[in-house]
Amino acid sequence: MPSPMALNPPSPSPSIFKKKSLSSLPSMATAASYLSAVSEADARARHHEVSPTSTPALSMSSSVTSSSEDTVLHENDLDDSGLAYPLTPPTSEQVFTTVHTEFGHCANESFRYASQHTPESTLETHYEDPPYYIFITTYMSYLMLLCLGHIRDFFGKRFQPRYFKHLMPYDGYAPLNSDFDSFYTRRLKRRMDECFFQPVTGVAGRTIAILDRYSLDFNESYLYSGSKTRALNISSYNYLGFAQARGGCADAVEESLRRYGVSTCGTRLESGTSELHVIGEALVARFIGMEDSLISSMGFATNSTFIPALVGKGCLVISDELNHASIRVGVRLSGAQVRMFKHNDMEALESLLREVISQGQPKTHRPWKKILLIVEGLYSMEGTLVNLPAIIELKKKYKFYLFVDEAHSIGALGPHGRGITDYFNINPRSVDILMGTFTKSFGAAGGYIAGPKVLIDALRVRGHSGAYAEAMTPSVLTQVIASMASIMGVAPPPPSTKSALTLSPSSSTATLRASDSEEHPGLAPASALPSWLSLPLALRDGSEGHSRLRRLAFNSRYLHCGLKKLGFITYGHPNSPIVPLLVFNPGKMPVFARLMRTRQTPIVVVVVAYPATPLVTSRVRFCVSASHTKEDIDVILRACDEFGDLLDLKHASGERWPLEEIMKRSVELVNMP
Amino acid sequence: MDSSASTLEPLLAFFAYSMSKLESTFYKVPGSAVLARYVRSSHQNDPGRTLLELILIVFAIRTLLQSRTRTDRSGKNFIKFNEKEIDELVDEWTPEPLAQPLSEWEQKDLASVPVISGANGPKAKILSTGKTVTNLASFNFTGLAGNEQIKQHAIDTLRKYGLGSCGPPGFYGTLDVHLDLERDIAEFLGTEASILCSQGFSTISSVIPAFCKREDFIVADRAVNFSIQKGIQISRSTVRWYDHNDLKSLEDALQSVEKERKKRKMPLTRRFIITEGIFERDGEMVDLPKIIELKLKYKYRLILDESISFGTVGRTGRGLTELYNVPASQIDMLIGSVANGLCSGGGFCAGSMNVVDHQRINAPSFVYSASMPALLATTASAAITHLRNTPSVLTMLQENIRTLRSVLDKANGITVLGHPASPIVHFQLRSSQGGSYEGESRVLQEIVEDALAQGVLLTRAKHLKGQELIEMPPTIRIAVTSAMTKKEVEKAAGVVKTSIARVLGKRR
Repeated sequence: MPSPMALNPPSPSPSIFKKKSLSSLPSMATAASYLSAVSEADARARHHEVSPTSTPALSMSSSVTSSSEDTVLHENDLDDSGLAYPLTPPTSEQVFTTVHTEFGHCANESFRYASQHTPESTLETHYEDPPYYIFITTYMSYLMLLCLGHIRDFFGKRFQPRYFKHLMPYDGYAPLNSDFDSFYTRRLKRRMDECFFQPVTGVAGRTIAILDRYSLDFNESYLYSGSKTRALNISSYNYLGFAQARGGCADAVEESLRRYGVSTCGTRLESGTSELHVIGEALVARFIGMEDSLISSMGFATNSTFIPALVGKGCLVISDELNHASIRVGVRLSGAQVRMFKHNDMEALESLLREVISQGQPKTHRPWKKILLIVEGLYSMEGTLVNLPAIIELKKKYKFYLFVDEAHSIGALGPHGRGITDYFNINPRSVDILMGTFTKSFGAAGGYIAGPKVLIDALRVRGHSGAYAEAMTPSVLTQVIASMASIMGVAPPPPSTKSALTLSPSSSTATLRASDSEEHPGLAPASALPSWLSLPLALRDGSEGHSRLRRLAFNSRYLHCGLKKLGFITYGHPNSPIVPLLVFNPGKMPVFARLMRTRQTPIVVVVVAYPATPLVTSRVRFCVSASHTKEDIDVILRACDEFGDLLDLKHASGERWPLEEIMKRSVELVNMP
Repeated sequence: MDSSASTLEPLLAFFAYSMSKLESTFYKVPGSAVLARYVRSSHQNDPGRTLLELILIVFAIRTLLQSRTRTDRSGKNFIKFNEKEIDELVDEWTPEPLAQPLSEWEQKDLASVPVISGANGPKAKILSTGKTVTNLASFNFTGLAGNEQIKQHAIDTLRKYGLGSCGPPGFYGTLDVHLDLERDIAEFLGTEASILCSQGFSTISSVIPAFCKREDFIVADRAVNFSIQKGIQISRSTVRWYDHNDLKSLEDALQSVEKERKKRKMPLTRRFIITEGIFERDGEMVDLPKIIELKLKYKYRLILDESISFGTVGRTGRGLTELYNVPASQIDMLIGSVANGLCSGGGFCAGSMNVVDHQRINAPSFVYSASMPALLATTASAAITHLRNTPSVLTMLQENIRTLRSVLDKANGITVLGHPASPIVHFQLRSSQGGSYEGESRVLQEIVEDALAQGVLLTRAKHLKGQELIEMPPTIRIAVTSAMTKKEVEKAAGVVKTSIARVLGKRR
């Protein structure tokens, strides 16, 4: 049956489609053998879940996390994967204070890099396209899934109506969810449900323990076998590796729990404000380089509750088309008009600006009260960086206000970890509002919004969170303060003044603000921290923070460039800790995730598909962390290399290196411009 | 003529040749014969159809090629400018400042917010004065804030899980402790399942748009809390408001919706009643059995916000369902606050398996937000165990509420609002003493400050003026706690009463 969709035509006859990596699949001459290899591998991978003791990979790990001392190093398993212990044992001079499973040991100073914008690097995002047959097969897959889904619905409704009862009108009630609305969820997502909502336990650090589960009813429900698998974690937002149950930050949090309890029992304006809020907000402002800041107990709510206080009727919000849902919710609640522009396209933005300013408000043509441009620093699905220098230039001319959501970039970018402004070496105060979260780089939760004091005070009173939402808990605040201080480094207290920690009696607002003469990015003065907080030396002097930043930058760049050199199509900037690897075909996603999870050294990965991405560009998203060692990235590259051949994922143009060479010349690769 | 024909001949021959070549190539492509047969037969039957199909194809291609981002350039309202004019307009345009600075009263109000030094609890140390005062302002209803056992539990969790969960629930952010807490809550309330959200305030404003869509109907109490208002706003459903806690008005609204639906022959859509268990704004309590009766009669689903009542009323703090002895499964979506009721952080929605599963992929603040820190989840689980094992705290809480109300009821010049069992007690000025909203707020703030000077921490109920659906009269809100003895409550309430008398007396 000759078909243009044949994945791998017999090698002698030249294909009408360009096929680049034929040589990488020497043993698989035909499409049939290729498919059978995939299905075999997949079956092997599936099989793992049901009988956890049948394979070495799982028996190795099933005993890992049985005790409550989850992270302590007495895992008595035969670990040769390098997950629990480093492959090369430390020498006598090397002292590591972290637990290897949480934060990997890496003493090699050449595996470091500075995250910084260089004039020669481009910010233009180049989206490389795969060969056409990939697109065609991807559309065919979706078409097939749709057809199958509809056939199953058609017959299911007639022969097994009980499964559809909740989707049908019943006893005068309209269904909560119609069969049409839930079609995608039931018929497409359900097939790969095992990639999502995987319950885990323990610290989401360098490794993570997943609770083994399996499904006997096609992912309708899951059964837990009771065993756990320790896997390399390249999925959590743990950019600087502060997800730790041991170490200086965790000690500080313990002390804070003893001193402050679990909750502050109220909203910020109604007696839920603790001194830690005041200290935290002042420190965040200093870290960001803004005049003042405001902390909110949930990252999503930071956008959805403060944007309505910034803009309203008669205002215009210009939003990047890939902005996060929280921004969309906030804008919708605000009642402002919204216009979107093509992702990161500065020309489209400028022409839109010219249009909206000249046209004014729709119908009335009155001038806009204000125009707020909302962009993200680092886009979570693409790994692209915002073109901030160009936007600042546009801002000068078009006088719009600029709101940068740094949810992913704060801590993760810039030589000092101060986010996107630090990365481009732009004065943070040239941006009007900088928003960010503590979930990703600081191992905490919640978010902040920073800007001029007048603005932040207005948000304190008029934002929804102040009056109605619970305040951030002391333990989370302490984690934020401790991790942030250790990134900044703490300046030794000046000898003369005994304690400069004076919280203004008349005001609840941050009064520890950085004096304006203070250089940014500078150290955190000891007086800006709670007096009881004692950080270990490596955290206090900022050396560990510095090394974390440099490790993250190295790892991000290494994984990105490594995947590129292996021939994968990746998106985003090489300095971004988010590395999307394009998979395209929906069927390959669950197989890839499953293969990764059931390797000898298991790896957990995030796969993202429509609707979070455009229909065709399904992807695997790696989130690199400072806690990974170079060896961990090697492991990931090796796994990708193997499965990339198996799943036919290597379609990028450009020079290719064999895996061994990439691993050997990693430092050179990272330092290439 | 002839010569032109002869010059055209090779061209025509080439044309004919290439056509035949194209045709044969076309037929070589598998499946092409089917296409050709289809086109031919349909054209024979109805040439108009071929034209129509061609137009459709052109339209499809045009749609595909169109820019993804909408522009209004073609609209009727679009005015064409040349580049120079645009430049001038850009130069002319001056935006308003991003934020209006705070008014004098707002500034004063913000400055008066107390900052608490150290742990919050029945006694709180105020940072500015260094004085330890009795706390009648913070939500510590069942005294969980100072519970050492729970604190130790939190520390143990910290040492096992670290602090943050570092991911949304969908992507390795679901910890076993989250699943445990979800199960604990569901078992505690007696529902099939429950789902957590990492902030109490955002819970219901995410639950509502997950279920209520544009074509749906919502009938809601006029005085629901701000979070519900925002949820309703974002859902874009059709809303009918009924008078605050007036079930007659509710029934009228339900009837009118039904009538309208019949008149306009609208298709069957989802219909919801949204209300609070105990209203955050005045402490009124809803008559749950009656509402359930109405909801069943008119075939509505009930979304009940128990942010205040969960963990505070009922024999073991299960909330209104326990108080009225109604099975929780009767309530379609039961929302509660883990932050208020269990002194931890976050919120939950309990309901049937379908309700919960639907939210796992459709509730925005669940899907797009990081899951709550592990230690908040385990402290909440521990708090539930504590409530189950020591129902005496709830009795104590009710006793303290009674004590407080009995003292305040005797105070002159104020009206105590709310249900006698409500753990939050609002009081407002009886006659409009200050005149305007702001004037009344000033008087109340004086009372708060006077009481603070006498060693009792109070707070005005803070509202976003101008953003709420209806303006409620300004009140002072007392949060009663079981962590005080009857004597302490009596004493604190006495201080409040004297402060009221002193401040109001001064003004006369």
